[in-house]
Amino acid sequence: MSAFIALSKKEVQQMAREFKILWLPIVFILLGLTQPIMMYYLPVILQSAGGIEGIIIDPTMAKPEGQEVLASTLNSQFDQLGIIILAVATMSIIQGEKANGMMGFILTRPVSISSYLNSKIIIHYILAVICIALGYAVSYGYSAYLFTTVPMTQAMWAFVFYCVWLLFIITFVAMISTFFNSPAFIALISIVILLVCRFIAGLHPFIDAVNPASNSLSAANILMTGNLEARYSIHIIVTLLLVLLMITTMHGFIAKKKF
Amino acid sequence: MLIENLQKSFGQHEVLKGVALKIEKGEILGFVGGNGAGKTTTLNCITGLVEQDCGKVMINNVLKSQSLAYKKQFYFIPDTIHVFPNIAAYDWIHFVLSLYERTDDAKLQSFIHIFGMEKSINKPMGTFSYGMLHKMALITAFTISPPILIMDEPLNGLDPLAVVAFKNCLKEYVENGGTVLFSTHLLDVAEKICRSICFLKDGKIVLHESLENLLVDGSLETIFMEKQANEG
Repeated sequence: MSAFIALSKKEVQQMAREFKILWLPIVFILLGLTQPIMMYYLPVILQSAGGIEGIIIDPTMAKPEGQEVLASTLNSQFDQLGIIILAVATMSIIQGEKANGMMGFILTRPVSISSYLNSKIIIHYILAVICIALGYAVSYGYSAYLFTTVPMTQAMWAFVFYCVWLLFIITFVAMISTFFNSPAFIALISIVILLVCRFIAGLHPFIDAVNPASNSLSAANILMTGNLEARYSIHIIVTLLLVLLMITTMHGFIAKKKF
Repeated sequence: MLIENLQKSFGQHEVLKGVALKIEKGEILGFVGGNGAGKTTTLNCITGLVEQDCGKVMINNVLKSQSLAYKKQFYFIPDTIHVFPNIAAYDWIHFVLSLYERTDDAKLQSFIHIFGMEKSINKPMGTFSYGMLHKMALITAFTISPPILIMDEPLNGLDPLAVVAFKNCLKEYVENGGTVLFSTHLLDVAEKICRSICFLKDGKIVLHESLENLLVDGSLETIFMEKQANEG
C-alpha cells in the first residue's frame, strides 16, 4: 500500500511539473462552456456569418430544454473532442516510462506490477473525472442560465454513468500505451477505436450490452428522460469486467518483460 | 545469495551458460570480465530486470519468484541511472526511500554531506552530470542500506573525492552486515575494494576466489590477462 501511495504522489508531482493539472481542466471547462453558448446563439451566429440565405429560422420554434443541452455537451463535446484530448494527454502514461527506462527502475524496487499500474490508472482517472466534472458543472450552470434548469439528481446520475465510460477510456489508452512504443500510433489507435465504440452505441441492443460507450448513451438518456433503466446496470457490469480484463492483460504483458 | 545454473539467451545468442555462484554475508564480490562476457546480463537476471530462461536465484532464502519479499533484499544501481529530468533530486530520493519504507532523514542528510551534494540536491535531475547521477544513486543506496547492494560499474563518472567517499561508505556498510556485488572493468579498483573476485568469460564463471589467494600469484591484471588468453 505504501508503494501505491508513493507512486501515486509521484504521478501527481509529474502531472504538476508538466502543467497537465492546469491545462487539461481548462480545456474541458471551455468544452463545457461551448455547447450551451453555441446552442443559444446559433441563430445570431448564422445571421452574422451571412449564412442565413435560404434558411428560415422559425421564430416560434421552442427553445431546447436544459436537459438536451447538457446531453449534447456529453455526446458532442466530451465524446468527440474530449476523447481525442484525453487520448493525447494519456498516451504516454506507460510508454513514456518504458522508453526512458523508468519502468524497469521502478519494477526492480519493492513495487508490485499491480501497484504500478493501479497508481497510474487511478491518478489519471481522478484527473479525468475532475476535468469532466468541471466542464459538466460549467455546462450545467450555463444551461440553467440560458435555457432551463436540469434536476440535480438527474444530472448527478448522468455524471456517474459517464464516469464509468471515462474509466474505460483511461484504462484502454493505458493498455495500448503498454503494448506499443510509438506515442503517435498509441494516440491514433486509441482515438479510432474509442470513437468507433461511441458511434456504434445505440445501433443494436446486443452490441450495446458489450459496448462500454453505452454508458455515455445511458447518461444522455437519464438526462432526457430521468429514468434509470435496469439494462444500464448491465452496461456498468460489462464495462467494469472489461476494465478488469484490460488490467490483467497489462499485468501479464509487463510480467513477461515484454517491454 | 545463491545462484544456480543461470541461463539466458537473446534470440540465438546464448549470453549466460549456467552461471552458478554463492556469496556469503559480508562479502564484497567484484564481477570482472571482458565486454560481452555476461556481467550486466547476470546482474539484470538477479535484479529481475531480465527474466532468466533457466536457473534459480535466491537471496537470504527468498526466491526471486517471491517478487516483493525478494526485491526488498537488495538495492540495484544500474550503469545508466534513469531519472525524471524535471523532478528535484531530493524529492526523487524521498520517493525511492518511501518505496523501501525508509524515512531516516538524518541518515540521508549525512550521506548528502559525505558525497558533497548539498548545493545540488534541490536542483532538477535533468541538470545533473553522469557522475552526479551516480552520486545520487549511491546516497539513496547507502541510506536504504539493504541486505545486498548490487551495482553495475558504480565508479563510472565519479570524481576522486566521491570515489574515496564511496570506499569509506562501502567499508562501513559491510561492517554493519551488508553484502556487495558489483561489476567493474577497473581491476586496480577491484583489487583495492573487493574481498573476492569472480571472472566471467563467454557467459561462464571461470574463476571465483578470494582476493587474498588470488594475489599470491600476481596482480589482478596479470591473472585477468592469463585467464582471457587461456580460456580463449
